[in-house]
Amino acid sequence: MKRFNLALRMLWRDRRSGELTLLLAALIIAVTSSSAIALFSDRLQRTMTMQTAEFLAADLVIATAHPIPENWLAKAQTLPLTQARTVEFSSVLMEHDELLLASIKAVSPGYPLRGQLKTATQNYASETISHQGPQPGTVWVEKRVLSALKLALGDKLTVGEKAFTVTRLLTYEPDKQGDFYSFSPRVMMNDADLAATQVIQPGSHVHYFFQFIGANDALAEFKQWLKPQLTPAQRIMDIHDDRPELGSALDRAQRYLGLSSILVIVIAGVAIAMTARRYSERHFDNIALLRCLGCKQNEMLWLYGSQFIVLGLLGSAVGCLLGWFAQFGLFLLLKDLLPQTVAKPGLLALLFGFVIGLAMLLGFALPPLLRLKHVSPLRVLRRELAPVPVSGWLVYGLALGIVGVLVWQYTDDLKMTATLLVSGLLSVLVLGILVYGVLGLIRKLLPFMHLGWRFGLQGLTRNRRGSVSQIVAFSMTLVAMILSFTVRNDLLNDWQQQLPANAPNQFALNIFPEQLADFQQELQQQAIVGSRFYPVVRGRLIAVNNTPVQKIVSKDSQGESATHRELSLTWTEQLPDGNKIVTGDWWTDKRTNLVSVEQKLADNLKIKLGDELDFTVGSQPLKAKVASIRALRWDSMKPNFYMVFSPGTLAQFPSTYLTSFYLPKEQKNILNGLVKQFPNLTVLEVDAILQQFKTILLQLTQAINYLLYFALLAGFTVLFAAVYASLDTRIHESALMRTLGANRRLLTTAHLIEFGSLGFIAGILAVVMAEAITYALYTRVMLMDYHPNAYLWLIVPTVGSLCVGLGGWWGLRDVLDKAPLKVLREL
Amino acid sequence: MNPQTNLSNTVILAENLGKAVTTSEGTLQILSAINLTIQSGESIAIVGESGSGKSTLIGLLAGLDTPTSGTIHLNGELLTAMDEDGRAAIRNQAIGFVFQSFQLLQGLTALENVMLPLELSGNKQAKASAEALLERVGLAHRLHHTPKQLSGGEQQRVALARAFVTRPAILFADEPTGNLDRKTGAHIIDLLFELNQENNTTLVLVTHDHGLATRCQRTIELAAGGML
Repeated sequence: MKRFNLALRMLWRDRRSGELTLLLAALIIAVTSSSAIALFSDRLQRTMTMQTAEFLAADLVIATAHPIPENWLAKAQTLPLTQARTVEFSSVLMEHDELLLASIKAVSPGYPLRGQLKTATQNYASETISHQGPQPGTVWVEKRVLSALKLALGDKLTVGEKAFTVTRLLTYEPDKQGDFYSFSPRVMMNDADLAATQVIQPGSHVHYFFQFIGANDALAEFKQWLKPQLTPAQRIMDIHDDRPELGSALDRAQRYLGLSSILVIVIAGVAIAMTARRYSERHFDNIALLRCLGCKQNEMLWLYGSQFIVLGLLGSAVGCLLGWFAQFGLFLLLKDLLPQTVAKPGLLALLFGFVIGLAMLLGFALPPLLRLKHVSPLRVLRRELAPVPVSGWLVYGLALGIVGVLVWQYTDDLKMTATLLVSGLLSVLVLGILVYGVLGLIRKLLPFMHLGWRFGLQGLTRNRRGSVSQIVAFSMTLVAMILSFTVRNDLLNDWQQQLPANAPNQFALNIFPEQLADFQQELQQQAIVGSRFYPVVRGRLIAVNNTPVQKIVSKDSQGESATHRELSLTWTEQLPDGNKIVTGDWWTDKRTNLVSVEQKLADNLKIKLGDELDFTVGSQPLKAKVASIRALRWDSMKPNFYMVFSPGTLAQFPSTYLTSFYLPKEQKNILNGLVKQFPNLTVLEVDAILQQFKTILLQLTQAINYLLYFALLAGFTVLFAAVYASLDTRIHESALMRTLGANRRLLTTAHLIEFGSLGFIAGILAVVMAEAITYALYTRVMLMDYHPNAYLWLIVPTVGSLCVGLGGWWGLRDVLDKAPLKVLREL
Repeated sequence: MNPQTNLSNTVILAENLGKAVTTSEGTLQILSAINLTIQSGESIAIVGESGSGKSTLIGLLAGLDTPTSGTIHLNGELLTAMDEDGRAAIRNQAIGFVFQSFQLLQGLTALENVMLPLELSGNKQAKASAEALLERVGLAHRLHHTPKQLSGGEQQRVALARAFVTRPAILFADEPTGNLDRKTGAHIIDLLFELNQENNTTLVLVTHDHGLATRCQRTIELAAGGML
């Protein structure tokens, strides 16, 4: 305890030294951002868990694209289990010449088996709780339906071929899948009316949910009995195994935010390592003296280590407190994507902030501290005796280990963690080498420069390692910011700009085969030019050469999303417009069971020519051999397919047709006629989808940028850490220069040039890196046209040099205030 | 008094000079009531025990610090009325320094260190003059070495070259041999006096060494912040 008190006293005396303040600041920044993320994720997860009981609206649910066999329902009845059914599909509604794509849900008696529905009669004024859905002949709708279609309660609303009376406003349903992309408003009807709408035909895109409740034993037996009979297109969800999932994009947002906070941790970690190093080097003399006075090695380590633990706890506590407030910012930025009611912040999540704070100190500050143990007492006589530096393996290994664990925590995928760590390390290495090269070049040019420039730039080249750390830290932050900004803008702008003037802006889906001729004729009469009509069969890819696809895909890839849902499968004799065969040949004979696979998906799933693919359509299996790999542009606005089969392969399955066409704004009312004539038709307006896409992207990037501001702050702590590390030398040199007659202006100019150049180099390198990454991303992954951004080359280095220049000047403002004599005598 | 007319041969005139610093235990008087006149071309040794205020005195005379009382005229100009930049300009034009711990800029080569004062005054012949002076002090073969690559004696010779390269009117030397062995120290002192004579510079030398002090024309002894 005595030692601990001594440690506290020493810490208190050291508070003026500057580097501890900086270490604390870096720690607080890192803990703030990571505890904000931890709280944010925790609240989301707990919101979902809270709703688990209700989420399924049942204890067990079979989700499927097709009705399930009658004997399954009979089995459930004998166990006995109570059952209900919901059917969900999209449909275009039209009233008062207004069109609306709605999400229809037909519910059977008994629904919801768990939880409750909430409705209102006007403007959400007084919610009524219901334990069953609407009566036959009536529908309940979300408020948006009324405003979009200019309806009031009591009016008629037609779904497909059947007219309903709108009786209530639907304000809450327990099992609404909270997905990012589910923007269509809900219309709830009775299952008994479903057939009368005539919307569902074989081949329609429909989701069935068969819901069951009952005793645990009965449920377990039912599940056991069902499992071997399930097809890949059918999924069992129950309250034990299936926690509700976040919408996929929200899930991804959470992961990106987590990874952005790791950038903050890494950069702040560099600052901590730099300040801890200076701290330990500054204490060599004191320690040598203490050791002379009889202090043991381990006592020494404890004395200084305990100071860092106190700092860690203090920094973590402040960081957690700030993180608590910062998470509200995240909720505000992402409010449109989140459930309406969110769980309260959990105190346990704050513990994570503390863990991060202490782990960071362990990873970044421990190695320099360990050196203190080896300070020789002989240093009191021979000051040049410095302890051996700690092994590089320990320094980098510890830091990398901590960062690796954090990345793994956010990605939950070892392969992705390894990829991120390796690519991160490679980026740092490439950036580091570039910076080293630039500094080397500057050093060679120094003799030819004017005095102010020479002294300014000499400051940069003097301590190359420190300068490299600072420039890399700023560059990495700027790269992340540039990427999040440009990819968002380019995705939106380039996509719209690259579309030809009359690119299709409407997609018509769900056209039944018997309606095809009439529909084509209707388009012709209206002089609408469309793309080809493609038959569509909904099916799922389940295996490649008998290996289940789940074993092949990597997390978050295109392959993963394509194998987790039903795909639109088509067949055609001719290669679709805009498609290009990359390998293999397009079929010319009448052979069936051949398939042409889209190139990126093929790469992702490692599908090669001649491979055998297994699909299921409904409950029936389908085999096909890969005859070719195709490249195509997904943003062409024409129907595009992952899988195109040879004619005849899909003949036995029910199908619908889809096409796309261009409709000028002034002719939009033609859609009304079409929907009236073909009630089952689903029309997607591309403009509206683009708008939704834009909103999502904006909110997501704003939230990521919010965290990158923390990274930027951390970058400044690295800057100041480097400034502090060189402060003694700088003060000495300034004093000497002033002794020899240099005036303040020259020295101030030199400082501004030094840090302005640092920011400029960081900015230029960030733009180079960002452009290289965007180029690779656009040409290899997104297949978009790449254009260099001239304004980035101008803005980023300018802003970089201004901010860093002023920051550095501020950090050194006291250097010029010390009397030269005082400085020179101190040495 | 008009120094321009009455003190035409005086390079330094200190009147009633005092320096006090404030500490947590009150005010500490380091120097008090110093009156000193130094003529052009004169060589003066300031001696005294540790803590007697020698270094503080030459710091004040050279304009490296400001007194708390009294005035200093240097080359006829009132140094104590100038701001830091004004004093810096005077130091650059009229003063050379040699320190006990050499005080070379570590990042610069020997040549660059010597060129520095000339560059600060915008002299276009900086390189040629610096090379000539380094040759004069016997370091023609060490022009591009950094201080770390030079011995203590060689570093002090670079410092001498730097001090004389601007042909200063006054040279302040603070224990110039304090960090050198006896033989090297003696060699440096010989060089210092040679250069001093060649340039007809006024020399103000702080030393512990009474032997060295006797080589100067006049000795001033300080004790407890005052002149004896």
